[in-house]
Amino acid sequence: MSTLRLASRLPFETRRKLFLLTLGAPALVYVLAIGVGPVAQGVWYSLFDYSLIHPARRHFVGLGNYAALFADASFRNALLNTIVFSGAAVALEFATGLGLALLLWRDSRFNQICLALLLVPVTVTPIAVGLIFKGLLEPDFGMIGYWLAHWGWSDPRGLLGATHTSLATLVLIDIWEWTPLMALILLAGLKALPVDVLEAATADGSTLLQRFWMVILPLLLPAIFLALVLRTMDAFRVFDSIYVTTGGGPAGATDTLMMLAVKRGLQFFDIGAASAIGNTMILCLALIASLFVLLIRRADRLANGR
Amino acid sequence: MLATIVTLFLLPVAWLIATAYKPAAAMFTSPPTFLFVPTLDNFRKIGTLYDLPSLVRSSLTISIGSALLSLLIGAPCGYALARSRSRWALAIAYLFLGIRTVPAVATLLPFYLLMRDVGLLGTTAAVILIDTVLNCAFVTWMMFSYVRALPPELNEAALTDGCTLWGAFWRVDLPCVRSGLVAGALFSILFSWNDFLYASFLTRLDSKPLAVALVTAYGTYDISWGTLGALAHVALIPIVLMVVALNRFFIGGLVRGVH
Repeated sequence: MSTLRLASRLPFETRRKLFLLTLGAPALVYVLAIGVGPVAQGVWYSLFDYSLIHPARRHFVGLGNYAALFADASFRNALLNTIVFSGAAVALEFATGLGLALLLWRDSRFNQICLALLLVPVTVTPIAVGLIFKGLLEPDFGMIGYWLAHWGWSDPRGLLGATHTSLATLVLIDIWEWTPLMALILLAGLKALPVDVLEAATADGSTLLQRFWMVILPLLLPAIFLALVLRTMDAFRVFDSIYVTTGGGPAGATDTLMMLAVKRGLQFFDIGAASAIGNTMILCLALIASLFVLLIRRADRLANGR
Repeated sequence: MLATIVTLFLLPVAWLIATAYKPAAAMFTSPPTFLFVPTLDNFRKIGTLYDLPSLVRSSLTISIGSALLSLLIGAPCGYALARSRSRWALAIAYLFLGIRTVPAVATLLPFYLLMRDVGLLGTTAAVILIDTVLNCAFVTWMMFSYVRALPPELNEAALTDGCTLWGAFWRVDLPCVRSGLVAGALFSILFSWNDFLYASFLTRLDSKPLAVALVTAYGTYDISWGTLGALAHVALIPIVLMVVALNRFFIGGLVRGVH
């Protein structure tokens, strides 16, 4: 009670600050301890030659793990696969997502139902998405895979079993799974466009295509960059769908950074190397994020202020 | 046009659901057939192959536990950050946004070793703890953007009327951002229910959730898709129905939560 009475004697602004601090502190402490803590520890581990199989042989190697990674062909392959996968998936998802968002733009009962149903691919467990397509594309009994192999449109081992088609097939699976999310974010951007500007453009007598290029697209740029950055960062970390379909194979054709880090760390218990891969990914993601933040700021200035 | 596209997005899931009613013999015909006599064999089979109550219990414990913990600590924090006049507030809000972009492997390894040392490895508690980092960061950011859109005059008027700071927060501001709370809970439940990577390495046989069991449904016990389809009824349908039914909150949260 005495602390309460003391608190009530403090000036209002101080009490307000203390109150907000009390509300905010638990989450901040939690995230620092259980979120940021392990990241910092991962940075520390990456400086050691540290394997759980021989924990006693742990010793400091400085940046040795990173040097070893970039000299390692399988890491360079995984990095390349990750970049190709994210680039291709996000570009195609953007093209189809924008088309879908334009189709859904008009507010009608039918469009609202379509919108709700489009949430299905986004909410289905990602691991199940991989399994669904593995089943459909299976070359011997799969609904799609059988016919593709039968007509000679795919390798006899199936689309996922051949080195030259497996990564592209995973891109297609990703497109199925995440195009609706891209469309949703772009649609939200479309709905937030200023109505008077759109009406003025229509009154000008410009064609639909002109309006799209000259009015809608420039105003939509902030939403576009936002959708792109979110999807790029997620695609860069893709794991579930690859893990259950190809596991990184055949012959490393679909190995991504995430797959490689999980294999090194949680299957071979090479903590040092796996941490180094994880940290390289954090650096790449930070780079992607800051690039897009710069683009979003510029687009915002172009769209809203002179 | 739109109807065709939506059908394309639904067909693969419909296929998985349909395989559950397909007899094993119809699964391995070449060429594959669309026609079959429906059977409930696959549902009987998953009843004997899996400890379904345990799987459902783990999935529910993890998703609801993490959602509650995230709301409990994340919602007040998002509110505090939105109302604070400190210049640190925005930086901290961005920290919460940034933590969500860290790839799971980077935190999973040190966290795995930490859980091993404190003896929580193999429990649903370990998964709740790590899931809550991401979920709480999401809820915080979401509350931050919802509260910032709320006029502060509401809170000031309540204080002038003699409300305590707590009362103005709990009885005036919080009810105004109810849809944000629902969206935060929805995203937390969805993430934890669907998460595979954390759960597969942090749980054991008796504590694994449905998402981890799905992977073993194909190939471990038998090589038919029927068991997977049957298990998908339990693992996918509840979560998909929940999100589709609450799509208004989901889409609203998505739009606010990512900005």
